[in-house]
This record gives sequence, structure tokens and C-alpha cells, in this order.
Amino acid sequence: MGNRRTYGPNREDPVKGYADTAMEFPRLLALLLIVLEWTRPGLPTPLRPICDLRVLDHFIKEARDAEVAMKSCREGCSLSDSVTVPQTTVDFDVWEKKNALEQAQEVQSGLWLLQQALSLLRTSVTNTAMHSHIDNSIRNLLSINAVLRSLNIQEYTPPASTAGLEGTWRVSSATDLLQVHVNFLRGKVRLLLLDAQACQQDVS
Amino acid sequence: MTCDHLSRVFALYVVFCALRAASIVQAARDFEKKVSILMKEDSENPKCYAEGRKDFTCFWVEDEERAGSVDQYSFTYTYQNENSSRCPLRAVPAAGGKRLFICHLNRTQMFVQMDIQVRREGILIHNRSLLIELVFLLDPPANVTVSSTGKQGQLNVSWVPPPLKYMDDSMMYEVSYAMADSHVGQVEVARASSELILRGLQPGTKYKVRVRVKLDGISYNGYWSAWSDPVFIETLPAEFDPLIMSLTLIISFILIVLSLTMLLSHRRFLTKKIWPTIPTPDSKFQGLFTVYGGDFEEWLGQTNGGLWLTPALFYSEECPSPLEVLSELSLCPSLPSPTLPPKISRSLIADRKKDEDVKKGLDEREPAERGNSALMEGWRATTHDHWLMDRLRALHQHPVPCSQSSLLESQDTYVTLSGNNHVEDEHLDDILEEALPLEVLFASRKTMLCESHSDLGSVQQSSGSGRLSSQSSFEYPNHVWMPKGPGYTYMAVADSGVSMDYSPMSRADDIGKVVIYANDYKNEIPAHRRPFLPRQHPVHDDG
Repeated sequence: MGNRRTYGPNREDPVKGYADTAMEFPRLLALLLIVLEWTRPGLPTPLRPICDLRVLDHFIKEARDAEVAMKSCREGCSLSDSVTVPQTTVDFDVWEKKNALEQAQEVQSGLWLLQQALSLLRTSVTNTAMHSHIDNSIRNLLSINAVLRSLNIQEYTPPASTAGLEGTWRVSSATDLLQVHVNFLRGKVRLLLLDAQACQQDVS
Repeated sequence: MTCDHLSRVFALYVVFCALRAASIVQAARDFEKKVSILMKEDSENPKCYAEGRKDFTCFWVEDEERAGSVDQYSFTYTYQNENSSRCPLRAVPAAGGKRLFICHLNRTQMFVQMDIQVRREGILIHNRSLLIELVFLLDPPANVTVSSTGKQGQLNVSWVPPPLKYMDDSMMYEVSYAMADSHVGQVEVARASSELILRGLQPGTKYKVRVRVKLDGISYNGYWSAWSDPVFIETLPAEFDPLIMSLTLIISFILIVLSLTMLLSHRRFLTKKIWPTIPTPDSKFQGLFTVYGGDFEEWLGQTNGGLWLTPALFYSEECPSPLEVLSELSLCPSLPSPTLPPKISRSLIADRKKDEDVKKGLDEREPAERGNSALMEGWRATTHDHWLMDRLRALHQHPVPCSQSSLLESQDTYVTLSGNNHVEDEHLDDILEEALPLEVLFASRKTMLCESHSDLGSVQQSSGSGRLSSQSSFEYPNHVWMPKGPGYTYMAVADSGVSMDYSPMSRADDIGKVVIYANDYKNEIPAHRRPFLPRQHPVHDDG
């Protein structure tokens, strides 16, 4: 009834009734509220921390499969150039002395290095069977990055060059590279995820 | 004061030493256990294992004779991309004349390859490359406790995991449980938890439970640890399950109701089977047994009129043959062939078993019963009737009443032709009269000089017994009921079981009611044999 427009005798201009005028204010108010809701300044919903290590175990198993496949690969499975890879050594005494930030830094730089190395391997290897393994490994590394992000570990800014980085090795064979990849995941990455603060808070 | 102090200190020291010794002994025992496990599991030399996050032990075995001193050997290990290091060795004697060379490291690096080289006087004897986190050999779980969950057939096993940080969720446990007296047990696997509920156990039995641990193999790996010390526990005793009990009761109740229904519906059939009606002639002799106590004479005297009714029945139903049994014949023991009756009875028994044979027998006898001459011929035809002929002849010669009750077996009945001293032309009448169950009998009895009172075999001589049972028809009277006149022919017909059922009825009880009289003085056939005999076998009197 509020929208009914009474037409005057001329039938030219719809005459707004009293009801229409009364509805103007609620309409404007509703519109305002909607707009404000959209533009409400707020933090983006934090990612749920992925604390279940079965995800990482899955990645580890796939990395192990890739390593085994590479060992049995005869042709077209060689690294064209030597690459820098993170050190996988874990001395528990030494590891525990580091704080969370250092550990995170170490893990993230190692992951970045591995990504570079695997990308190079992908281009070097001509065996098609290995391609699927290597692609899988690269995808898994990116997923691990997402997991780390979910644990509130800040993003890693890659260095300009890999030369002279601490805690790195150089490997020149594909099998060594994949072995380093597996050991890194099993060691430092897992320890970091185990110790993650976000997960500790959930547990406690 | 100082003495006390000193003594206290001394005591403490002794205790401390004892404890240490105990722990050392325990450690040595554990080490021996691990050595034995690795000797089985590990095939490479030197055999290496990690006990925790930092401890690492390697050893190899050599024979006592060939082993040198510890100094001759060198143990070198090299981590990847690092310089090599040496490990100090120690030698320990082992069982079986062997020597153990052991290297122990207190700090290890994991997730990196380690190359080991063992040299004896510069010569490489052992070479190995491994990752330390993949050769864990842990101690068995401690504090294994087993308790009841409160439910039937369940036990709750809990233990303390080995105290390794970062590795709790990588551990895998095996719980072995077996009945205390059996060797075969079952195994349950638990991952990353420190308790397990065993199900499906038998109630009220003693169980032996042990646990062992291993790393799961994804991030860390190793060998199965030794079994923990077994724990014995008894499960809860079998409970009275109300559900099963109530179900059992309901089902048994239903079964009982069904069986009762069945029994009641087939009541009559079952009663007949279990307690077959033994026919008695009480109904025919009204008041004989109840009033007169079996005294037939009195009863006859009193109920003359009633007796006439019953013969009328027989008149309408049967045409008795003149050859029907009129008396039993009991032969003197001096007569030569006492063995034949058994034969007859045997044949009777055989006949009994096969209807056909009985019918055959009947067929044999039937013509004999039809007519005098036919009978004679028939009897002549049968082999065993020759014997009867002989006996008859003997009887003619020696009509001595025998006091013995029966030489003949019970199944033998003798059909005598015209067994009284009536004139032959009255033969038929007499026979007819003889068909009358009792009156004729007693009439003839009166006329007879025979002293027999109960020629009716079925009528007991002792009137005390109140039963007219056809079974007693085989009680042969003491006396021979001999017809006196020499002129008529005697045909002792051995009727081995022919049922003189003149009624067309086929029911056993009807036979019993009807034939009872016929059998009483014609064929002494017991009631129980009657069903075996062909019932539909009217013997017609051709006169």
C-alpha cells in the first residue's frame, strides 16, 4: 500500500503518497547498514592451523617413493648442474637451543632452496615417469608452505642469491637431491611442525 | 656422635652402591637382550642401534680365538659432508666363546647419512652406511598395567611410552594377550596411544598380557623392542545375562505349549499306541464278572435271556464252519512228535511276519476248513499236517486224557470236526450250535463225559479270574475233550494262527469283540496276534 501511487487527474505525474515518503528513511538506513557491513574494517579470518602431522607424513611417503624411483632410474635421470640444498642434519641439542624463529627461518629457507633445486631437476630429467614424481614433490613443497602459513609462521623472503648461504650443501646427483629432500622433510620440517606454537595452544 | 654420623654415611654409601650395582646389572641385562635381538634382526656388520635421541651403540662379534685386543681395532664414522671421527671401543666377553666389541656415542646427528668403517690393524673388516633415525631399538614400555573395564570379556591395558621427545606420535605398540596356560596368543596394534582395550575375551579366565614398541617407519624407523614383563590378570566371571535367560524361558515355554497342543490334539492316537485297549469280554457278559465274580454257571443260570442276545449277533455275522475249533487238543507226552508244534509255531511266527505267507498258510488251511474232504485233502497237502494225522490216529488208539496242560505250543489250535457225540446228521446243527460261543460249549460239555469244565480255552478254569482273554485260550485243559463216538472222523487241524474272523469288519478292536468267541473255542489265538493275520478272511462254511 505504501507503494501505491495515486494518480492525479492528469495522469502525468504519479503523486507520491504519504506512505511512500514514510518508507524512505528505513530504506536508506538499510542500505547504509549493508554498505557499512561490507566495508567494515576487520582482519581476514585466520587460517585454521593444520596441526595434523598426517599431512606431512603423506608428503614424506611420496618423497620416499620419488627417491626410490630415482634410484632405479637408468636413463635420463641426471641433474644438469649442481644445486644448493639445505643441510638436513639434526642434532637435538643444537636444535633445541634455537628459538622458534630461527627454526622457522631455517625450515623456510630450506624449503625454498629445495623448490629451486627440484625445478631445475624437472627441466634436467627427461624420463617421463620421473616427471610425475618431481611435479608431485614440488606441489607438496608448496603445500607445506601453506601449512606453515596456517601456523602463523611468517613468510619467507628469499635471498637474492643462493651463494654463500649458511647451512647449505651442494649436491650434483639427482639421487642425492631427492635424498636430501626426504631427509629434510622427515627431520627439520617435522620437528618444526611438532613444536609449532599454534598447535601447542590447541593441545593445551 | 661422629661414629653415628660415619655409620650413617657408610650405610648410605652401601645403599647407593647397591642401587648402582642393581641398575648396572639391569642395564647389562637389557643390553644382552638387545644384543640378542639384533643378532637375529640385523644382518649387517657392525650391528648398530639407537636407544634415544642421543645415544647410539654399535657392536660386532668375533670368536675368542681369532679376536685380537681392543687396540687392534678402529671404529671410524663419517657424517655426510663432514670429517670422520673415531669411536672408542671396549670389549666384552659373550656367551659361546665370543667377544663383543662395542662402540658407544653420546651425541648423534640424525637425518643425515653416516658412514661407518671398522678396521683391524688398518685393514677394513666392516663397512656400513646408515641413517641413525632409522635404526631405533627402544626399551620395552614400562609400567604395563591391566585392569578390568567393568564389562564382560574386556580388559584395559595401559603403559608408559618410552620417554622420547618428538617421537611420541611416531610410536607403534603391539599388545600380545594369551590365556595363561596356552602358548598361542593374539596381537593387537595400537598407534601413538598409551592404552588399549582388549575385547572378545573369555570371562573368568586368566590372561597374560605383554607390550612391545617400535617406531612407525615414516619419519623414524627401527626394530621391535623386547617384550615387556608379562602381566597376569583374570577377567570378570561370566555374568548372568538376563536377556539370554528370559529368551530361553520364553522359547522353552513356547515349545512346551506347542508340544502340549500336539499331544492333546493327538490324544486318542497316542493313547491307543501307548495303552492299547485290551479287549475284554466284559461287555458281552453282563454282570458275569461284576456280580458273579466269574462264576459262569451262576451267571448262566441267572441271565439266560441275556445270553441269547449275543449269539444272535454271531448268527448274523458268521457262518461258522463245521470245521471250526471245537476243542483244544492236548496230546499225551508219550506221543512221538512233540517237536512239530514248535515248527508250526515257528512257521507261524514266520507267517506272522509276512502277510503273504500267512495268507498262503491260510490258503492252505482254508480249503481244509471248507469241507471235510477238502480239509482232509488240504491237510494232507501240507507237510506238517501229516504229523497231525498221525497224532489223531494215535489219539484214536489212545484216547487218554493227559493231565499235562500243553504239549503243544501255545500257537497251536486244533480244529476238530464234529467234536462231540452227536449223530452225524446232526453234525451241521451241532456245528452251528458249536458256533455259539458258550452255550453250545456248555451244552456239549454237559453231554460229554469229559471232565473238562473249561474247554473253552479262553474261559479260565479257575473262575476266579474274571477275564475272558483270548490269550489264555492257549491254556490247554487238563483233559482232552474227546468226542466219544468212534464213528466220526477226527480232523485235528492245526490252525497255526488263522484268525477265524467271520465278521467283515477289519478293525482290530472289532475283531477282538467279534472273534473273541470264535477264538475262544475255535482258534486260540491271542489278541495281539490278530493284527498280523489277514482279517478279511471269512471262512465260509460250505457245509
